[in-house]
Amino acid sequence: MLFLDLTINGLIMGLFYALMAVGLSMIFGVLRIINFAHGEFFMVGAYTYALISTSFGINPWFTLPMAAMGGALLGMIVERTLIRPLYDGYRSWSFVKDEYAVVVTFALSLLLVHTVDKVIGPSPFMGPSLFDLKRIAIGPIMLNGQKLMAAGVSIFLLIGLAIFIKNSLWGKQIQAVAQNRFGAALAGIDPIKTTSLIFAIAGGLAALSGALLSPIVNPSPDIGSFPAIKSYIIVVLGGLGSIWGSMFAALILGVLESYFAVYLSYDYRDAFGLLILIVVLIFRPQGLAGQKGREV
Amino acid sequence: MKINPFFRTSVLALVLGVFTLQGYAADPILIGLSITRSPPGSVIQGTQIKDAMEIYADMINAKGGVLGRPIKLLIEDNQGLPEKGRSAVEKLITKDKVVAITGAHQSSVCLSEIEVAHRYQTPYVNTNCWADSVRVKGYPEVFNTSPYNFVVAQSMAQTLEAMKVKRVVAFAENTDYGIGLAKGVGEALKSKGSNIEYKFETLDRASKDFTPAILSLKSNPPDVVVLTMLPPGAYIALNQLYEQGVAASPKTLVYDGAGMADYPDFWQNVKDAGKYMMTIGMYHPDMKLNDLSKQIAVEYKKRTNNDPNRLIYQAVDSLLVVTEAIRQAGSTDSAKILEAMRKGKFDGARGVMTFDSTPGVAFQQWAAIPYVNYQLTDVNQAVGKTTLLQGPGLPLNTTKITFPKN
Repeated sequence: MLFLDLTINGLIMGLFYALMAVGLSMIFGVLRIINFAHGEFFMVGAYTYALISTSFGINPWFTLPMAAMGGALLGMIVERTLIRPLYDGYRSWSFVKDEYAVVVTFALSLLLVHTVDKVIGPSPFMGPSLFDLKRIAIGPIMLNGQKLMAAGVSIFLLIGLAIFIKNSLWGKQIQAVAQNRFGAALAGIDPIKTTSLIFAIAGGLAALSGALLSPIVNPSPDIGSFPAIKSYIIVVLGGLGSIWGSMFAALILGVLESYFAVYLSYDYRDAFGLLILIVVLIFRPQGLAGQKGREV
Repeated sequence: MKINPFFRTSVLALVLGVFTLQGYAADPILIGLSITRSPPGSVIQGTQIKDAMEIYADMINAKGGVLGRPIKLLIEDNQGLPEKGRSAVEKLITKDKVVAITGAHQSSVCLSEIEVAHRYQTPYVNTNCWADSVRVKGYPEVFNTSPYNFVVAQSMAQTLEAMKVKRVVAFAENTDYGIGLAKGVGEALKSKGSNIEYKFETLDRASKDFTPAILSLKSNPPDVVVLTMLPPGAYIALNQLYEQGVAASPKTLVYDGAGMADYPDFWQNVKDAGKYMMTIGMYHPDMKLNDLSKQIAVEYKKRTNNDPNRLIYQAVDSLLVVTEAIRQAGSTDSAKILEAMRKGKFDGARGVMTFDSTPGVAFQQWAAIPYVNYQLTDVNQAVGKTTLLQGPGLPLNTTKITFPKN
C-alpha cells in the first residue's frame, strides 16, 4: 500500500514539476537561453491568486485565470524589455549572449523576490483551496482535495499544450522557430511575435502552477527557488528544448524522488534528482528525449 | 562687500563650537543588530526583533539614554545565511565600531557570527539561537537570553513521559536548531530511563513536499509526532500530516518544539491542521507581566497592530542586557561590559536575568528561562484561550490533553 501511495503522490508532484518545466524548456528550445527568473513567474502566480482571492473575496476559480494572465503578461513584458535585445537588432551582442541572458534573468529574479518581500511582506501566505475538502479518501489512499484538483487541471493543461503545439498554426510556428529561426523568418513566420508568445505561455504556465500550488506550499517571496531548481534538472534530464522530454522527465523525477525518500533516505531526496541527472548526462548527454547536436 | 575679519573669525568659531558641542552631546552609543531582513532567512523573525528593539531603544532614549548618551541601533541584513552574518558582524565591529552585537535569531548564523565577536572580543548577546553548540563553545563574549535546546528538550521529554506514550517520531529540519533539538529530546528520554521508542527523521527545510516521509508513518502511526522545524517548512509539514490523516488523529498528536503557535501568520497558514497541536511556548498571556513588558506590549500593539509574542520580549531582553551592562559598567569598554554581564542582574521583560558560568550547554545562559506547554483546541484560537497544560514554573497536567474524535 505504501508503494501505491508513494507512486500516486510522486505522479502528482511530477505533474506540478511538468507544468513548471515545459515553459522553461520552450524558452530554451527557441532562444537557447536559460531563464533564471522562471521560478519568480511561479511566485507571481501564487501571490496573484492568493492575494486577489483573499483581499477581494473573489472565488478562486475566477482568480486562477487571472494569475495565469498575470504570468503571461509578465512573460511578455520581460521578453519585450529584457530578452529582445538578444536577437533583435543587437547583432554585436551575439558574443555575450549567454552572459547577458544569465545576468539579466538572474537580476530580474532577485528584483522580483525583493520587491515582493518589501511590498507584500515576508510571511508565508496560504492561498484559498479550489476544493474545500482537505482530506479525501479514495480506498486506502488519502489525498488532499486541492492537490487532486490541481493535478486534474495540470493534466488538462499539459494535454492542451501538447495539442496546441502539434496542431495549431501558432504551435507549428513555434516548432519552426525552434528548429531554425532564420529559416522560419524566410518562410514568412514572425520570430519576434513567436518568441513573445513563448514567453507568454511559459509565464502563464508557471504562474498557473504557482496558483494551483499556493494552498499547498504556503508561498513566501523566495518560493520560486524550489520549482526553478527542479525545472532546471527536468529540462536537462528530458533533453534541452524537448517539451515531451520535459513532461516525461518530470513524472519520472516526481515518482523516483518519492521512492528514494522512503526506501533509501529522506535526507538526500533532492540530491537524488541531481544524481539521476549526472548519470543520464554520462550515458545519454542529449537527455532522455533530446537529439544529438554537432557544433559547426 | 568686505567682511570684517574679526566678525568672520567669530562666526567661524561659533559655528565650529556649536558643531563640536552638538557632536559631543549627541555622540550615540552604537549597538549592532545582525538580523534577517530579506530571504532566504526568516524575515518575519528579523522584523519582530527589529520592531521590539526599536521600541526599547526609543524608551531608553526618551529617558535620556545610557550614560547621558542616546542609543543608536545599526542594522545589518544577514539574510539568514552564515557567511552573510559573519561579514555583517565583521563590518559592524571594524567599520561601524559598535560596542556590542545582538539580535541573532538563527542558530547557524549565530555559530558563524560568534567566531567574529570572539576574535574581536566584542560582547555578543544572543536573542533567539536555540542550538546548544552556541553555548558549548564557551566563548566569554557570548551571552544568551534566548531559549536553548537543552531545556526545551528536557521539557518535551518530560511531557512525553507524562503522557505515557509508547512511540514517538520527530521530524527535524536540517539545521543546527532542528537536528540539535531532535537529538536532545532523544538524549533527554534516554537519561530519564524512558521506555519510549523514539526516532527522528531529518527533513530539508527548503522542501515543499514532506508527504513521502509522512506516508511511511501511515501504516503504523506513532503516538506523537514531534516537530522541530520552523515556518514555513513547519506549516507545510503540519498541513501534510493532517491531509494524510496521520495527525492530529484519535491516536496521534503533533507536539511542536519551536513555539510557532504564537507566530502572527500561524492560523492563516495551517487552518484546521493546527487544531489539537501541543506546543512548548516561551510566552503565554498567563505569565505575569512586569511594568516593562506591559509598556512594550502596549507600544508594540500600537506600532504594528499585532499582539506581542515571546520573540518581542526576547529581543527587548537582549538589548536590555547590553544597555544595562553599559550602565552598570559605567563605560563602553568591551572588557568592562563583559564583566558587568557576568556579574550583573538584569531586570528584564520576562524576569530577572543572571548568567550561569558553568561550562556546557548553559554557559552564560539565562538558565531559569520561563516556559509553558499548551494545546490548541480550536481553529483561529488566540494563545490566551488555549488549554494550558503546564503554567510557568508549575507541574504538567496531562489530563487536560484532548484528542480529536475522528
